[in-house]
Amino acid sequence: MRRVPFFDNPVLRVQVPTWRARLVLLMLGAAFLALAARALFLQGLSTEFLQQQGERRYERTLTLPATRGKILDRNGLVLASSVPARSVWAIPDDAREATDAQWRELGRLLEMNAADIRSRLTDLDKNFVYIKRQVPMDVADKVAALGVPGIHLQPETRRYYPEGSVAAHLVGFTNVEDHGQEGVELAFDELLSGQPGSRRVIKDRLGQVIEDVRAVNPPVDGRDLRLSIDTRLQYLVYKALNDAMAEHDARAAAAVVLDVRTGEILALANLPTYDPNRRETLRGDRLRNRVLTDTFEPGSIMKPFTAALALDLGRISMSTQFDTGNGRFQFHGNTISDVSRNGMLDVAGVLRRSSNIGMTLISETLQPREMWDRFTELGLGQAPQMGFPGAAAGRLRPWDRWRPIEKATMAYGYGLSVSLMQMARAYTAFARNGDMVSMTLVKRDSEPTSVKVYPPQIARAVRAMLEAAAGPDGAKAAQVQGYRVAGKSGTARKIVDGKYSTSLYRSSFVGFAPVSDPRIVVAVSLDEPKAGGYYGGRVAAPVFSSIVAGSLRMLGVQPDAPYESVIVAGVPEGTR
Amino acid sequence: MGRLNLLVAALLMLSAISLVTSRHQARQLFIDLDRARAQARDLDTDWRRLQLERADYARNARVDEIARGDLKMISIVPDRTIYINQAPSAPAGGRP
Repeated sequence: MRRVPFFDNPVLRVQVPTWRARLVLLMLGAAFLALAARALFLQGLSTEFLQQQGERRYERTLTLPATRGKILDRNGLVLASSVPARSVWAIPDDAREATDAQWRELGRLLEMNAADIRSRLTDLDKNFVYIKRQVPMDVADKVAALGVPGIHLQPETRRYYPEGSVAAHLVGFTNVEDHGQEGVELAFDELLSGQPGSRRVIKDRLGQVIEDVRAVNPPVDGRDLRLSIDTRLQYLVYKALNDAMAEHDARAAAAVVLDVRTGEILALANLPTYDPNRRETLRGDRLRNRVLTDTFEPGSIMKPFTAALALDLGRISMSTQFDTGNGRFQFHGNTISDVSRNGMLDVAGVLRRSSNIGMTLISETLQPREMWDRFTELGLGQAPQMGFPGAAAGRLRPWDRWRPIEKATMAYGYGLSVSLMQMARAYTAFARNGDMVSMTLVKRDSEPTSVKVYPPQIARAVRAMLEAAAGPDGAKAAQVQGYRVAGKSGTARKIVDGKYSTSLYRSSFVGFAPVSDPRIVVAVSLDEPKAGGYYGGRVAAPVFSSIVAGSLRMLGVQPDAPYESVIVAGVPEGTR
Repeated sequence: MGRLNLLVAALLMLSAISLVTSRHQARQLFIDLDRARAQARDLDTDWRRLQLERADYARNARVDEIARGDLKMISIVPDRTIYINQAPSAPAGGRP
């Protein structure tokens, strides 16, 4: 081939029309113009939109979960605390690829039936199905290691209650969404649950957070709550009730211990109970906080209040004698009867022998209005102000609608209804010097407020009478070795189909100790005891006694009653 | 003039590189901080868990059962107790 230099190229010799060159130039120019316009459009006009799109691809908003606060007892022991857990969920369409062996293994880990899990995943249109919630972390890690296709984990928290059924009614429980459902968990839900925070961050290719785009909005953790409960006393009360339930075959039992000086609730237990850690035990009847929500006709435990009122108003004196006759008394066409014939009694005797006839005679000196006023001052007929959900008000009918027989029955505790908590609180009036202390479930740092109900000398007189009522001639089963106790037993017939039953009773005992300087009020109530008697002095008083004995020992209260010591202080011979 | 240009160009290069390194360092430190925070969170979780575990072991029901069953202990009663009265100004430390 012959070499031709460039300028000699025969192609160049051909004459081309100039318009063709111009056309090419024009087209090139137009193309550049289009590019410039596009650049201008992207950079200038739609820049904001594009930046947003870009940010969306590397910026993420993370929610920072807040931890629910702990519930502690008065000594700082944990009653409820949250720990992280995982919920296991699935995308049904992806989960089709899992093998039978994988399902079996998953079922074994989650303690579920493999077929049951698979049946939940039949609807392929869904793209989020919970399999199990609140799975503990160690199990969740094993599930993750299993690598079943379509199965995912999502962080959440699970609440644990170390004391379980012992403090169940007090502490309550939360639902799976971590909101309080019962008890303190519900009453203080706002305080306990925090405020979740958020942060906007840039993530890199590996999913690591590189930097915060905006200032972090930090989560506010729920506050810890310190209750007035003493877990040791709580267990003591729970155990005492449990033993009594078994012994007397009762339908239900409830008890509460109040600190006389501070008004704090030291223990509150109900039976039957449930275990807040196991959701399957959460059933209607077991959830009832009987101390607060159940109202009942108090029966004889009301008597001291009427007697104290009559003494306070000067209608009777300590030496006034009441003729209770042979134990049967006709009053406005009704027969009022005593358990035994008591003859002539003074007011202390009326309380000691728990004479309904004596109380009827005392009530004859009182006006309905006076009784209603005093009962209202004692907090009956009103829900206690303690922020606890479902606290019942009880029933105290307006005085102007009382019939004469009702005035008499109310004097000895029928015809009105109260909760055990109201009774315990009302008894603080006798345990203190006539003033009734305000209650709290939260540990108190300041002095409690109190309302004056009876003058101090009346409170002291009734205290002495109640000590006698819990003495050898009264409910002697209430006695505690080494301590002087005071209290009143009550045996109330239950209303069945509108009539007072002759076989179903509610046995109760309310009292306080030590009498020389009362520290605790204890109220005990057993519903429908069927075995081993039904009198309050027989059924509830021993429970009171064992609770008082244990509580005073744990509180380190010195005995105020004489007792014979079987040990002698001294130094063993060998150590001298 | 040419020299000055070179100098400024070199300075520019240096500053550009230092910007890149400081940026990289900032990210590294941020990741470390994040890690430390996560660790703090994990430790808090562990503490909660251990506290719960302790509460579980110290459960009154369990202690009661072991004390009565395994150790054959009985509740104390006043007639087997010697009460020692101490002035309230006793040194702090143990509770009465």
